Amino acid sequence: MTATATSTAGTRERTAPWSGQSVARKEDGRLVQGQGSFIDDLGMHGQGYAWFVRSPHAHARIVSVDPSRALAAEGVYAVLTGEEAKQMCEVPFFQIAPGAGARIEEWPLAVDKVRYQGDAVAVVLADTRDAARDAAELVDVDYEPLAVVVDGVAAADPGAVVLHEEAGTNVAWHGTYDYGDIDWALESADHVVRIDRLHFHRFSSTPLECNGATVNWDRGSGMVEVKSNLQMPMFAAMVIGPTLGVPINKFSFSSRDIGGAFGNKIAFYPQIAALALLSRKAGRPAKWTEYRTEHMMTSTHGNERTFLDIEVPVMGDGSILGVKVRAYDDVGAYLHYEPLGAVIWSQVVPGCYKMKHVRVDFTTTLTNKCPVSPNRGYSRMQHLWMLERIIDIVAHELGFDPVELRKRNYVQPEDYPYETPNGCVYDSGDLPRSLDIALGLAQVDFWRRRKQELGTGKGKRVGIGIGSTLDSGTNNFGQARIINPDLPFSGNGEAALAKLDLYGEVNINLGTTPQGQSHETTSAQVAADILNMSPEDVTVTVGFDQAHNSFVGFSGTYASQFAVTGLGAVMGATEKLRDQILEVGSFALEAPKEELELSSGTCMVRGDPSRSIPFIGIANLVYTNNAVLPPELRSTVDLNCRYVYVPPFAVPDAEHKTGNLTLTYASQIHVCVVEVDEETGATEIVSYAAVDDCGNRVNPRIVEGQVHGAAALGIGAALYETFDYDEEGQLEQPSFYEYHAGTALDIPDIQSGYLESPSPFTPNGAKGMGEGGGAPLHAVCAAIQDVLGKDDAVVSDSHNSSERVYELLHSADHHRARGVTVVSRPSADA
Amino acid sequence: MLLKSVEYVRPGSVDEALHLLRSNAGAAPLAGGQSLSNILKHRVASVDVLVDISSLDELREIQRRPDGSIEVGACVTYDELDRSLGVRAGHEIIARVASHIEDSQIRNRGTIGGNCCLSDPTNNLPPLLIALDATMHVRSAGGSRRVPVEEFFKGYFLTALEPGELLTSVEIPALPAGARAGYASLNVAADSKAIVRSAARVKVNEVIEEARVVLARVAPVPIRHRGMEEALVGAAPTAESVRAAADTIGEDLEPVADSHGSSEYRRQMARVVARRAVLEAIGQGGGM
Repeated sequence: MTATATSTAGTRERTAPWSGQSVARKEDGRLVQGQGSFIDDLGMHGQGYAWFVRSPHAHARIVSVDPSRALAAEGVYAVLTGEEAKQMCEVPFFQIAPGAGARIEEWPLAVDKVRYQGDAVAVVLADTRDAARDAAELVDVDYEPLAVVVDGVAAADPGAVVLHEEAGTNVAWHGTYDYGDIDWALESADHVVRIDRLHFHRFSSTPLECNGATVNWDRGSGMVEVKSNLQMPMFAAMVIGPTLGVPINKFSFSSRDIGGAFGNKIAFYPQIAALALLSRKAGRPAKWTEYRTEHMMTSTHGNERTFLDIEVPVMGDGSILGVKVRAYDDVGAYLHYEPLGAVIWSQVVPGCYKMKHVRVDFTTTLTNKCPVSPNRGYSRMQHLWMLERIIDIVAHELGFDPVELRKRNYVQPEDYPYETPNGCVYDSGDLPRSLDIALGLAQVDFWRRRKQELGTGKGKRVGIGIGSTLDSGTNNFGQARIINPDLPFSGNGEAALAKLDLYGEVNINLGTTPQGQSHETTSAQVAADILNMSPEDVTVTVGFDQAHNSFVGFSGTYASQFAVTGLGAVMGATEKLRDQILEVGSFALEAPKEELELSSGTCMVRGDPSRSIPFIGIANLVYTNNAVLPPELRSTVDLNCRYVYVPPFAVPDAEHKTGNLTLTYASQIHVCVVEVDEETGATEIVSYAAVDDCGNRVNPRIVEGQVHGAAALGIGAALYETFDYDEEGQLEQPSFYEYHAGTALDIPDIQSGYLESPSPFTPNGAKGMGEGGGAPLHAVCAAIQDVLGKDDAVVSDSHNSSERVYELLHSADHHRARGVTVVSRPSADA
Repeated sequence: MLLKSVEYVRPGSVDEALHLLRSNAGAAPLAGGQSLSNILKHRVASVDVLVDISSLDELREIQRRPDGSIEVGACVTYDELDRSLGVRAGHEIIARVASHIEDSQIRNRGTIGGNCCLSDPTNNLPPLLIALDATMHVRSAGGSRRVPVEEFFKGYFLTALEPGELLTSVEIPALPAGARAGYASLNVAADSKAIVRSAARVKVNEVIEEARVVLARVAPVPIRHRGMEEALVGAAPTAESVRAAADTIGEDLEPVADSHGSSEYRRQMARVVARRAVLEAIGQGGGM
């Protein structure tokens, strides 16, 4: 069943079922009143404050590091240098890459060489943050600058300066994905559209809260306690454990409230490792709160990808047969989570389209730039942007209507479940209908008339663009084997604990790390429905805590999966708890389980409220009065129910690069209307609509909030936000002075609508969502393309400042290469 | 320390403030602190004594005189400029420009004096004050002087103020009969850093009799573009003649390039924003 409507946020009196309703967020009370526990709110007794000494050079040999002046400064507890840190470690960080990439030796701090501006060479611990900062300036580092490579394509040249000599190359990974028969398609097509180059730029999603951690290496117990705002703590634990020589059960990781993460807080494990060693050396906890410029320069950026020599076979009726392309992913100076970006995109090989023949020659390169790691829409966004650019360029070049061209090529509603050329299975959806809803919400009919009236030369031009995107969620970690067949990873999962506490209180405990995804609220809704009580009476313990034991190796909050894996675990655990309550109730009420029901915190005989026992009575029998229970019940019922949800995945075929790589595919269809100032290139969004289909929505308003947030980040990236490096490898936007993160003033009113196409593969019909960050990049670029004339260059970059749009508007006057050619078969009806 | 340890003094009068500034070589006046505190945080300036002038009543007044001119105390905030009936009565454009500076937190603290004395080329008010032919009132322990606004801005973060001197107020004459002002800015995004901006004051009496056209972000300080001004004088107040005058802006400019725009783009855009500012001043466009 599919339902549709524009969003409403009702305030009516609510009753069960709770799932599917816009229940008010349980989190809001404390978060909006300044009562959250964010990373800088947390600390440990006796802590010192850490400050990293960072390289001003993008590439240099470290001749010497002399901490003596810093050590003499007032308040300084310790200084840890890169070489010292290495001596305290057992092995370099684990590498995901095979071959050359696997040979890279990365340590908690730079040793011998720095490889990007901001690379940390030492870290200072002092009694105040300011004392640490002052002392960091006194650490004398002698550098011998080296040649720099900042271009992700040039970095792959055999003659390029090499960042990691032990690897012998800047190519961290290379592979060819080849599905169908692209050579046949190119020979058989009526038209072949060739695009020279598309470039997806660097940016980041700018969490309000930067990274941070307090780490204590306890000498007595050997326990390493890590309070941080990592969003996937056990990934960090698994990477740094062997390096530090610390077994996982000697770590105690925890994450509380997180002020935005977007994937950016998955991979700052080198800092955690350095802080652990610093604490070990100083004999006291080390607290570090990242500064904004430090964050922008050294935390992480999103993947920058260049697509070269794109060839697109198109039939006369507009059917697009496939695509052939060379892709270069510039991942910066170290491999943090990379080169997984080289496979993650293949969750959406054909995008929203039925193309069958795809060949992608993919190269991951290292450059003297900030390392990348996942950023909202990770890796799929780049690929989907390329596909959407292709659709619009094909439409522009061959004279197709972009709406009709999309509808012709979309996977159709009757095609689901739809298997893609590489064996992924799109679960459900209705893309043509989503597009129609979005066109209506954006009032495209009105804007088409306005576009006609204005035409060109009147100062403003109107452009209309569409962005079709897939938010693939719940990924199969087996796809890592496509990068490295030796990696023993596959599947996915999440854990939850459901518990009655001593006085019968209902508690749900999770291992996830929400950053605005409202896990407290949605978990309570789901549990309340199973226990037939109000979500207000369900307490959800949020934030990761290793001591709670509610985690698996994949726990965290990332990759659009909580609605499936997290809520799947909550459902399983709560159902187990319900069963145990009924078992005890059956004994207490002397009635068969089948005749019992739960209602608002009591267990009763159906139809006979006089025969009931409240949850406090159930808890009493199990926790504090268990001698009255029969032995078989004592041994099987504990009111502490752990459940691990495991999605139904198989191990992918690494050799052929095929398999089901993600469980669900939410879709986002965005429509953007821009007015472009012909004289300046300034682009203003005058109408914007986003239609999201994420299956059954557990809480519609929370879904809408995610849609708005993702759209805002994408709009900011499309028009304002970019990280550029100069030839010396200096970041040109190291602060908000240069990097304009989109604000409320910049983001238009977003008309949001929805479809609900339930997923047949998930416990609740829901799909993970929240990463629709790419759609605005597609839609804004398409809208700008729509204002350009036949002789102008095509929109080939994902970032379009006023100046770039101005250049595009004047590209024909300056006889700039258009960047696209079309070869048609003589018989083809162009 | 994040902020180096400094002495902080809150004088009770302008005279006391001037005495403090004269007697401490490392003293600096602190008004709204929206720029100075950032500079100190980035450790690019060294200050030993902060002389907090922000609550001196003498510096917080806006006086509207019978001749229509206004004198604005150096510590009047952007928000107060925006709300002042005295400013709005004859200089609505100042209120409008002030209302577009950054966000309300900054507008509650930042001052007209600070905006001028920092001489940051991206600041909103300096080009407008040049267009409006303001006079800067400067005092020191030894006396006072009036500095024509065009002589006030000397370079990046550099003004005509001598050590020990304090900008106390900005005097803005009434618009001459038949004159109006215009202001246009091309920004990175809404109400953000300017790529290029322009302010203009144009007097029309059938033909354009007088024109002051100021460009900002094309040089270290806002500059009047004499070529465009000369081309305007005597011309009919029409879009065509304004366009022709703006086309005199060209190779004479060598704007800086930075992450917000290339030199060539700034040169092209200078023509556009100057034209739009003048068009607004002659009542033929919206400005901004």
